[in-house]
Parts: sequence; structure tokens; C-alpha cells
Amino acid sequence: MRKSREAVRSSRTAALALVGVLALSACTVGTQQVDTTSAEGEVRGTITFQTWSLRAAYRDYFEKLIDKFEKRYPGTHVKWVDQPAEGYADKISADAAGGTLPDVVNVSPDLAAPLAKAHMALDLDSAAPQYRDEYLPAAWNSTKIPGMKGTYAFPWYLNTGPLFYNKRLFDKAGLDPDDPPRTYDELFDAALTMAERSDGKIATLANVPTIEDFGRYGVRVMNPSGTAFTFDEPKGVELLERYKKLYRAGALDSQAFTSTPEQAGRKFMQQSVAMNPGSALDLDKFKKDAPSLYEHIGITDAPNNTGHPNMYVQGLMVNAAGDNKATSVAFAHFVTNAENQRAFAHETTVFPSTEGALDEKFFTEQDGTDKTRVRVASAKSLEKAVNYTPVLLSDDMKTVLQNAVTRALRGDESPGKALHRAAEECNRLLKLG
Amino acid sequence: MTSATPAPPGTAPKAAPRRVRRHLPTSPWLFLAPGLLAVTAFSLAPFLLTVGNSFTDNRTLVPGSFVGFANFRQLVHDEMFWTGLGNSCLYVLVTVPLLVLLPLLLAMLVRRHIPGIAFFRAAFYTPVVASVVVVGLIWSWMLDDRGLVNGILEALGASPVGFLSDATLILVSAMLLTVWKGLGYYMIIYLAVLNNVPRELHEAAAVDGAGPVRRFLSVTVPALRSTMVLVAALSSVSAFKVFSEVYLLAGENGGPAGEDTTLVQLVQQVGTGLNGRVGYASALSVVVFVITLGLMLLVLRANRKEDA
Repeated sequence: MRKSREAVRSSRTAALALVGVLALSACTVGTQQVDTTSAEGEVRGTITFQTWSLRAAYRDYFEKLIDKFEKRYPGTHVKWVDQPAEGYADKISADAAGGTLPDVVNVSPDLAAPLAKAHMALDLDSAAPQYRDEYLPAAWNSTKIPGMKGTYAFPWYLNTGPLFYNKRLFDKAGLDPDDPPRTYDELFDAALTMAERSDGKIATLANVPTIEDFGRYGVRVMNPSGTAFTFDEPKGVELLERYKKLYRAGALDSQAFTSTPEQAGRKFMQQSVAMNPGSALDLDKFKKDAPSLYEHIGITDAPNNTGHPNMYVQGLMVNAAGDNKATSVAFAHFVTNAENQRAFAHETTVFPSTEGALDEKFFTEQDGTDKTRVRVASAKSLEKAVNYTPVLLSDDMKTVLQNAVTRALRGDESPGKALHRAAEECNRLLKLG
Repeated sequence: MTSATPAPPGTAPKAAPRRVRRHLPTSPWLFLAPGLLAVTAFSLAPFLLTVGNSFTDNRTLVPGSFVGFANFRQLVHDEMFWTGLGNSCLYVLVTVPLLVLLPLLLAMLVRRHIPGIAFFRAAFYTPVVASVVVVGLIWSWMLDDRGLVNGILEALGASPVGFLSDATLILVSAMLLTVWKGLGYYMIIYLAVLNNVPRELHEAAAVDGAGPVRRFLSVTVPALRSTMVLVAALSSVSAFKVFSEVYLLAGENGGPAGEDTTLVQLVQQVGTGLNGRVGYASALSVVVFVITLGLMLLVLRANRKEDA
């Protein structure tokens, strides 16, 4: 009798605990009820501004910029925080889930999308439409999310990302060092020649193709309405078939399946890989850490079959749940206005997203230096650039695609089957929201 | 203080104990409170939340709803779950026997009183103190296709080995790293216990004609059995929950096509980021917890059977 009473008591306790646990779990995440369409109010008070790995190189620039803003708007205070590049999405995700998202956040379009969907990003088409015409239309539209109305970040700086190549290795393989491959056909030919003439010791590329390669190759990666991935279309299969040949010939680095961009960069600096994408900042690194490579460095655009290079967009998102939204909008606009974007572009090789800014001499005239060469070439290619990475492509989906590419290149699965399965899985994840 | 003082004759003897009894129920709890609060906040509450989340389809930024056992049913059909489970189990099967035996042999080696042995003891223990991230990075540079190890192999006329490009070799390399890093820790545990094994037993066995191997099997091993069980339990739990070594050598995707992913790495891949599937990742965590608990119970049960 006593035992059964005890059993009843313990099962009651267990049931209560379970209910409690489920109730608690319901509290762990939650969409805040916030107004994402307006930022009315006085420009004053304290806001937090978060950048993405910029403090080390541009501390002075940002400190002066913040000073200028605070003087222009008395009663405002901007607290600047900078996060390292690695794990940036995780940091934002932890802040967003914990309700501590900064007021103005540096984001790329794929980071803005989930925040917008969770009603954490301010819709600038509604809250700040007066600024729209100041920016290039492609840049302003870069944070439009399929299935949603609005724009969710002020466009900031743009880049196309140059492709570096090693002229000495090109020369050694009998390839013209002054005529690097510009299309995928030329790239594949050059890579096979390089592999053959170096007995498979020098790979041309250190990474497997990413979604941007699919885009530049001419594959339609997603349908126009943004409801399904279509990278498994015949053109995508063709791209993988050709990469498979490269892999078999030793034209891809043996660690291409697992390499991070940092590891790939290291191989390029060790001169065991002939080509590698990067940014203008890498030039200084080569000069300092790999002077023998720097002597033979070549710079070109990433190969392209479409005539439209890839455009990397950085933006400033305003936290819709912030306390001083008017101040946040004013500051985000201040950082991204034509004058300040131009000033930032003079600090490093990035490009302003404001209308007409790319026409100035700084972006059009050569002065014979490497830096200018990269700048002018990249600015020119930006005119036609598009962002090939769909804003709805999450990290999960990128992993699914990379795994499918690996299986196809190794021959575990046919490229068609691997891509089809990957597209199905990405579409399943897309439906989860 | 009052309770400790004996009552003088003629005074009411029950007064003091009653006061003690009145204070007793609260005092222990007060002492326990700081520890309990910390455990509740940082262990119990997250654990309960994880269990709760495993029955929902919560995402990092989007609240979900109660889905019953749907996440657990989905696990069964998830290829990556089976890959992760297989790799985690393999990790236990390979590393645990090595971590039970090798540190014991090492401890027997360094307990001898030879000049300079302190240096070797410190050297064997150094990897334990070193950060796993630093050690992992050094290993990844050494094992790189153009790293130190392959450089030596090539200098000796051998072909380079794809330690970090072949899925199996990546996992084997990570296992070796785990064993190498854990040797010193378990060696110290064995060293402490070895000193308690009576020397007379060894002497008696030697007099009876037992050689070193026989003495090891018949004297040392039985005397250290419970310590070996402890080492097996500790190392199996940490091997099953391995993350850093595999992450550092196989990369964030878990090796080529994710073939080296372990269960804990899968939890990290699925549950983090702005689109993290918190509910599903929690279900994975619950499975990891249940298996880890099962492993511990299995080892302890094996020990109890031996004792019986």
C-alpha cells in the first residue's frame, strides 16, 4: 500500500517535472513582439554598434567616425564592439536568442535573412525609405528576402574578391603568366595542364566549388520566387563532372574536401597551389609573410561564364527591438552615407555602395601600383556584379552542398544523383523556415 | 557550541539538544546553497531545458511547438546520425583500451628511481596541460599533406600519406591525438595507486618463480583493477563525447563529406548558428546523454561482476 502510494507520488513528481521542463523549453526562444516598420523618435541616447573583425586594422577610422557622429548629434553615445571573423554568426545568434543583440550590426545578406524572419531587423523600406535612392539599387535590394516585404540592412561596402595566381608556377607549367584563365573552360584547361606538367605536385585550386562557383558557371541556383533550390539542373551537373576530372588529374589539392579558406590561403602562400581567391588585404600579407610569392603574384577576376562577377555585400542592420531606434537608423545611415563610405574605401580596398561613388577618379584611374590595379579592376567588375549566394542559403545547407560535391568528385555517387539529393535536402531545410 | 558542551548535573538535559535540532534542518542547506545554486543554474537547468527542447521544433530565433517524439523518429532516418553514432562508438572502442593499458605501462616505467626520471614524468604529463586547440593545430600542421611527417616520409623515399585528406586516416589521427594527450593524465592516476601495491606481493611472486610478465598479470593488474575500471569509465565517457580533436583535424564539416562527424560534432553543427535546429540538436544531446550513462553503467556493472 505504502509502496503504491510512493509510486503514485513519484510518478506525479515525474509528470510535474516533465510539464515544468516543457514549459521552460517554451521560454527558451521567442519572437519578440516589436515594431519592425518604424523608427520614430529623437536622435539621442546610447546605442551599441557591432563590426565584423574591423577593429584591428581600422580602429582610428571608426573612433573618428563615432566622434563625428556624437558631435553632430549631441546627447548620443555610440559604444563600439568588434567581433572576430570566426564564429561571427554564432555570436550574433547567441545575442539574438539572449535578447542582447547590438543596436546596429554589421551583417552580410545571409545573416540578415534569419534575423529579418525572426522580426529582429528593422524594415528600412518602411522605416527609412527616404534613404533608398542614395544607394545602388542592387546593393539596396541585397537584403530583400523572398517571401517577405522590405529591405533589412543599409548597404555598406562591396567587394568582388580578386583571384590571386602564382605567375612563376604558371610559367613553369608552360602557361602564359600574363593571360590567366577568365572563363571556367580556360580554368579547367589551365588546371589540367598544370597538373600534367607538374606530375600532380602542383594543384591549381585548393577548394571544391561553392555556391558562388555554381552561379558564376551559369547555374541557376534557386528559382526566382526563392521557394526551391535548383542547382541540380543539368548545368550544375556539368560543372561537377568537370571538377571531377580535375580531382582525378590531381588539379585540386588533396585536402580540398576539408580545407578552410585559411588553410587554402596557407597552401597558396607555400606555393603548392597556383590560384586562390582572396581580398586586397592579402597583398600586404604576401609581402610580409611570403615575399618570394609576392614577387610573382598575379591578380585577376574569378573565372566567369556569365559576364557577371560575384558581389560580396556588407550591410548595417538596425535591431528592431532596440531602445533608441531613431539613433540607430541615424548612425547606420551616417556610417554608410556617400562621404563616409568614400572615406572608408580610401582606407582599404573596398567599394562604396552609394550611387555614383564608383565614378570618381580614385576607382577609375591607374597609378601603376598593385593596390590601384586591384582597386580599379574590382571597381570595374562591380558594375555588372550580382550576389550569387541566395540569402536563404543557411550554413546547414552549405554543408549539405559541400558534402554532395565531395561525394560526387570522389565518385561515391554520380554528380547528378548527389546534387539532386542535396537540392532535396536543402529544400526540406528551407521549408522548416 | 552549546550542543558540544555537556550539561552540568541538575540542569535540564534536553534543552540544548532541542535547540540543536531546531537549527539542524536549515544549516546543511545553507552550507550547500552556493554549490547547489551553481549546479542548478549551470548543469541541472540546462539539462532539463535540453530534455524539454528535444520534444519541440524550436529553432535558434524562431519558437517552435511541441512535436512529441518526432525529433527522435527523425534521428532514425538521418544518415548523419548513424555516421556520428558509428564514429563515436569506434572512438570508444579504439581509444579506451589504449588509454587503460598504455598509461599503466608508462606509469610502471616512470615509477623507477632512475636519475633524470622526473624529466620524463614531466614530459609525459605536458600534453595534459597544453591546450587541446594548440595541440590540435600543431598536429594538423605536422600531418598536413606537405607537413613534417610527410616530409620525413618523402625524405625516406616513401609516398606521402593523406593523414588529413582520407576520412579513415583523419579519424585514426584524431584517436592518436586523444590517446597521446590523455596518457599523462591517466599515468598520474596509476602512479598514485601503484605506490600502494605491497612490494611483498611482488617479492613473494618472484620467489615463487614468476617472471615480470607473470607478476604484472597476477599481482599488478588485480591490485589495480578498480583503478583500471575508473580509467575505463572516465576515458569511455570522454571518448564518446569527443569534439575538439575531430573538429581540429577534420574541419568544421567533419571530414570529407562529413564522414568523420561524431555525435557531439553533429549536435554543434545542427544546433548552432542563426538557423540552428535547437529542438533536433537537443534530441541528439539526449541520445548522447543516454548512451554515455549506459556506458558508465556498463563499466560499473562489469566491475561489480568481477568483485562478486
